[in-house]
Amino acid sequence: MAENNVSQNSRRARASEERLEQIRREALETGRVASGAGADSSATVSSIIGAESYYNLAVLKEPTWTWEVPLYFFVGGIAGVSSVIALAAQLFHGPAPLIRVALWMALGGASICPVFLISDLGRPSRFLNMLRVFKWRSPMSMGTWILVTFSGCSFMALAGNELLYFGYANELVTTLRWAGEFSAAITGLLLASYTGVLVGATAIPVWNQHRHLLPAHFLTSGLGGSAAILELFGFLIPATQMIGFAAAGIETLVGFVLELFRGVVEAPLHHGKSGWTMRISGTLEGPVALVVRLLWGGTSTGRHAAAICFLVGALCSRYAWIWAGRASARDPKALFALQHAAIEAREGRVPSRA
Amino acid sequence: MTLAAFLTDATVCIGCKACEVACKEWNEVPEDGFVWSGLSYDNTKALGASTWRHVMFLEQPAVAGPQQVDMQDPFRWIFLSDVCKHCGNAGCLEACPTGAIVRTNVGSVLVQSDVCNGCGYCVVSCPFGVVDKRHPDGRAFKCTFCYDRQSAGMMPACAKACPTQSIRFGELSELREHGHARVAELQQRGYSDARMYDPEETSVGGVHAMFVILGQPEAYNLPPAPEVPTIYLKSAWTSALVSALVLIAIVFAAFLL
Amino acid sequence: MPGLGTTFGRGGATTAPSDLLNSDAILIMGSNMAENHPVGFQWVIDAKEKGTHVLHVDPRFSRTSAVANTWVPLRAGSDILFLGGLINHILQNELDFREYVVHYTNASVIIPESFQDTEDLGGVFSGWDPVTKKYDTSSWLYEGVKQAENETGGAKAGATDGGHAQHGVDSRTDLSTYTQDLTLQHPRCVYQLMKKHFARYTPEMIERYCGVSKEAFLNVANIYCGASGPEKTGAICYALGWTQHSSGVQIIRTAAMMQLLLGNMGRPGGGILALRGHASIQGSTDIPTLFDSLPGYLNMPKFDASSKTLASFIAANKPRTGWWNNFDKYIVSTLKAFYGDAATKENDFGFNWLPRLTGDHSHQAYWLDMMDGKMDGLFVMGQNPAVAGPNSGMERRALGKLKWMVVREMVETETASFWYDSPEVHRGELKPENIGTEVFLLPAAGHVEKDGTFTNTQRLLQWREKAVDPPGDARSENWFIYHLWRRLIEKAKRDPRPRNAGLLALTMNYTIEGERREPVAEEILEELNGWTVADHKLVSGFGELKADGSTACGCWIYSGVFPSEGRNRANERAPKDEYGHGWGWAWPSDRRVIYNRASAKPDGSPWSERKKLVWWDEAAKKWTGKDVPDFTATKPPTYVPPPGAEGDAALAGDKPYILHADGMGWLWVPVGLNDGPLPAHYEPLESPIVNPMYPDRQANPVGLNRARPGNEYASSPDPKFPYVLTTYRLTEHHTAGGMSRTLSHLAELQPELFCEISLELAKELQIEHGEWVTLVTKRGAIEAHALSTSRIQPLQIGGKTVHQIGVPFHWGYSGLVKGDIGNDLIAISEEPNVRIMETKGLLCNLLVGRRVDNAQKLEELQSPAAESARA
Repeated sequence: MAENNVSQNSRRARASEERLEQIRREALETGRVASGAGADSSATVSSIIGAESYYNLAVLKEPTWTWEVPLYFFVGGIAGVSSVIALAAQLFHGPAPLIRVALWMALGGASICPVFLISDLGRPSRFLNMLRVFKWRSPMSMGTWILVTFSGCSFMALAGNELLYFGYANELVTTLRWAGEFSAAITGLLLASYTGVLVGATAIPVWNQHRHLLPAHFLTSGLGGSAAILELFGFLIPATQMIGFAAAGIETLVGFVLELFRGVVEAPLHHGKSGWTMRISGTLEGPVALVVRLLWGGTSTGRHAAAICFLVGALCSRYAWIWAGRASARDPKALFALQHAAIEAREGRVPSRA
Repeated sequence: MTLAAFLTDATVCIGCKACEVACKEWNEVPEDGFVWSGLSYDNTKALGASTWRHVMFLEQPAVAGPQQVDMQDPFRWIFLSDVCKHCGNAGCLEACPTGAIVRTNVGSVLVQSDVCNGCGYCVVSCPFGVVDKRHPDGRAFKCTFCYDRQSAGMMPACAKACPTQSIRFGELSELREHGHARVAELQQRGYSDARMYDPEETSVGGVHAMFVILGQPEAYNLPPAPEVPTIYLKSAWTSALVSALVLIAIVFAAFLL
Repeated sequence: MPGLGTTFGRGGATTAPSDLLNSDAILIMGSNMAENHPVGFQWVIDAKEKGTHVLHVDPRFSRTSAVANTWVPLRAGSDILFLGGLINHILQNELDFREYVVHYTNASVIIPESFQDTEDLGGVFSGWDPVTKKYDTSSWLYEGVKQAENETGGAKAGATDGGHAQHGVDSRTDLSTYTQDLTLQHPRCVYQLMKKHFARYTPEMIERYCGVSKEAFLNVANIYCGASGPEKTGAICYALGWTQHSSGVQIIRTAAMMQLLLGNMGRPGGGILALRGHASIQGSTDIPTLFDSLPGYLNMPKFDASSKTLASFIAANKPRTGWWNNFDKYIVSTLKAFYGDAATKENDFGFNWLPRLTGDHSHQAYWLDMMDGKMDGLFVMGQNPAVAGPNSGMERRALGKLKWMVVREMVETETASFWYDSPEVHRGELKPENIGTEVFLLPAAGHVEKDGTFTNTQRLLQWREKAVDPPGDARSENWFIYHLWRRLIEKAKRDPRPRNAGLLALTMNYTIEGERREPVAEEILEELNGWTVADHKLVSGFGELKADGSTACGCWIYSGVFPSEGRNRANERAPKDEYGHGWGWAWPSDRRVIYNRASAKPDGSPWSERKKLVWWDEAAKKWTGKDVPDFTATKPPTYVPPPGAEGDAALAGDKPYILHADGMGWLWVPVGLNDGPLPAHYEPLESPIVNPMYPDRQANPVGLNRARPGNEYASSPDPKFPYVLTTYRLTEHHTAGGMSRTLSHLAELQPELFCEISLELAKELQIEHGEWVTLVTKRGAIEAHALSTSRIQPLQIGGKTVHQIGVPFHWGYSGLVKGDIGNDLIAISEEPNVRIMETKGLLCNLLVGRRVDNAQKLEELQSPAAESARA
């Protein structure tokens, strides 16, 4: 034991300023302090100095959502955008079978979505409580109403369309269908994009730092996914090809942007389970889907392959974002780094560490 | 409306955990796991659905303060009882889609357990990591500020049990003033790193559970600049709108061309 | 208890925790007050906020240390060195409160030439008999004091088999005939003898053998001694860190002496707060569960000539002077309470029905008898010796030698389940089919399920009203004892043998009420208060008790708690002053700060305005003030006892320590202790060093280490057991864990057993924080998580590094959270005055890995072939 005083057992009743400074420097640089007695405190968790965080425990709580929720994002996105495609096809004289399928996808998706959501609830039997309030400041409240409204609108559109399909044409039905298609398209867009807002407007650092990206990203996956399914149904028309290219292209861009920023907040996007899933799924729905479509988009097999790549990538990407959220919630340093940056920006000073 | 508040003072806390136990007894909160953490004397680790008062134990080199500790290196052991902040602008309240989370007439944030359906959105909306879902119950739980006790004219169980008055219960502005006076007094006594934790300058809009701490808030896992996530809504919805317009353009173009 | 009892007269805390608000300095030592008395600790915090300097001296940096102004480490077992050093500091620098010391203590009393100090005899006092290993204490008496002829034919003067009662009383001596030198210069006056005795307790000594730097020690000394004199007072708080030692009583004595030297006794903010363990432990020595005491600390009769008749018993226990001269009134009133109408003058009030002590009947002693198969049965109520007993492994094995055992508990404790669930059974060392003990587990009511009082550390009785009925068959102790008695006397009535006479004579005339036929607890309290027999009128206090059988009183010190019909003072809840009068009732006579006569000068005026407590009111001709005077209210300060006066009348108006025959505070204890009139430093029974003070006397010479197979000791020092072990409590758990490990809210706060080691030891042994380690002593081995922390510091002792290891003792094999039993490591040993075991300052070794993985090493370490300790 290092002794630097006269008597063999002397300790200082108070610390010397030098020793304190030494400790502060060591703490800032390494995050740990080796005690003067020479013991390596990496073996001793209880001596971690408290300047950085409380024993590196999580500050925030991890999302509690289970596997149904990312699936809901995926299906809801596709359902929502399907109604936009249906409307566009309706407006610009796309093939009627395509319209029909798209409308069925919209309602079909809208019907499965509540099952996923209700199943994820802690108290499923109380799902109707979601309709007790309308809170525009809560993306989840908005989402509930969007889903309900979208279901109604897409039912209206589909009912109208089916009636027309089975020959019950009249002005009311046609109006019904147009109104349904328009309203379903608008609410469908909301359905496909609000989930990005839902995820982005939270306390989780990696989520709220990507709140601009997430709605766009989720919409794109709805877009590409919708077109992909239509392609798998056999609608290998220029429209779906073009949408396929656009979606894969945007996703490639998104993937590129995500790789650019490597701060501590972004760590879950590049490391661990979430990071790998993010990369693989991003690659599949981005560059791979793009390249496959480029090289083999001439053939139906090629287009089907590109479609499947996109769908798989998009689905996995939803999971990656949830897992990234969990990892981000677990990381106190990311949260503090974010807030230190905010304090610095606001006050023009570096928050002191002493 | 008088606003009820907590002021929790680390400098008179003795780490006895009476607050944790009193809270659990009064509110019939279930156990939260029998796992030894090795993190000093803190086996509770964090607030959660089944822990509404959490006593922290910080073993650290003393960087300030008049305490005389006969050790080779300066040392201190600080205790602090953490609790739901009952924010002025509460992330959980804004997020709740069932209206289960409400502001009470004493200014606290209350989760009505008979309404909550366990959607989990409050969990990711709390900037302090307080509220959580309880398994297998399924609902979200957090400190109720002993609303039932307050309604009967009593103070919360934790404040009642605290033997050293580390947990003070009272009116918000009075406690805020008391806290600042306390910090000034501590600084005079040589605790140069004493401070109040009461983030009034961020979007959270001040908290109704304030703390007197020594050192940085990060050491206690208290966020130095907590924000209520509703501040992110505008930019997120804007992005959604813009993206939606772009999408319409793409889809229309696809069918037009 | 005798530490305080012999020094001051009564064995209990001399003040209340709330009085700490008046202290200028508080020394907490041998205690972790914040963790173990968190509610009482609020006054320490409040005092600190007002500017009081809180000092904590302890082997570990605990939650008390965290909030103290000053913390200083200490090698477990070196307390007398440290405290002796403080006394030496006071004496060498003349820091004592001279006027107080001269008038209120026996500092000026002259001791005969025949006395020889440990400094003269290399570690023993004069009177040492190396054959019997006991002292003849007659050479410790004051000069000129005569000892009566020892016609009782019993043990030699002063040697007591039990030290819990009537401290400092020996009726065969007349201490009032002492000689003094009020200038304190006489070479054989107590003051000078103390100076000589403590001369070698220097700061250098303390640094070298306690592990405290000189500066830190002197800092403590200056701060604490500075809180002395007419304007200032300091208080001492201690607990089991002092009592559970082989020299525990002497440690407390040293502190008590220091408080007398500094003039802190009987004054606001002064005194000694003996922090007793759980909520009513004070009550369980007042109405004793101790073998050697009758209620109110009256001596138990011994099986010798002194107890042949009531008269001889009274003669042996009633000194001529001092308050204990009232002994006959108290013993007769107690007998009347026990035996009611069956107790008459003719039959010595039933005195012969009382059992007699035939030797050492303490827990340790009878448990060893149990181990040797000499006991048939045992009632275990409110205790869990399978976990809490010393050498608990041996205690569990001993339980298997009983024929029957009754356990009354709220849960199935380890004591009740030992026969199928103990580690011995699980390891195959014992088989349930070979254990012949018949175990009866009876459900007991919890504390909110019955009426009654708690008597806490400040001698305060507080009544509790039953809130709910106990569930199912659970019943209160009162119910159990009462109905057991009822059934026993049914049998006894049909059995003509004279041995049943006492049982049949017992009075249990309580009203029985309710469906469950519960004795009315308030009537028991009334009985403890006492009444006049003829008209059953409650007495107002012990002053009304008589020796002629006209009064009955279950416990003289409780007399006054129920002074009139319907007035249960223990149930009063209207405090009217800073001392809390009007909330509960403290014995004796609701005096909150005892010995408070000493808060006034010899002339009766307060020492200072700032520290006034009681004073003489010349106009009203009585003592008055903020507390009930602990003094005869009408005795003026100038009172001079007439020749031949007896009892309290024999004490002058300036003698505050009224229980003592000479009325003085005893720096020097002439009678009442088995191991010395002054404290001397001895090492614990296992120590890392040879006794630096007296190398030829390693441990307390009068202590009993009870070494035998299964209860062996390491040598001092011992290369196989290089570390010093101390055991302790945590806030989150309660003693042996029966009430905390079974409750989820508490169990989850500290779910697993851990031991605390220094960072340096962790590095040396390459122990990772949190990993399993095995702690081993000569008695047992347990596994625990290693919690390495700065709060344990290695100390430099005698030139080498000594590591201390701490282990909490709360875990056992039942409940929601389980763990190994800490007390398996401790030995069965007996401090010479009170028989308490030593739980701090043992030697141990620490092995990495779980117990099972270390089986071979354990065998090597614990084999009896290794050397055993020097006795």
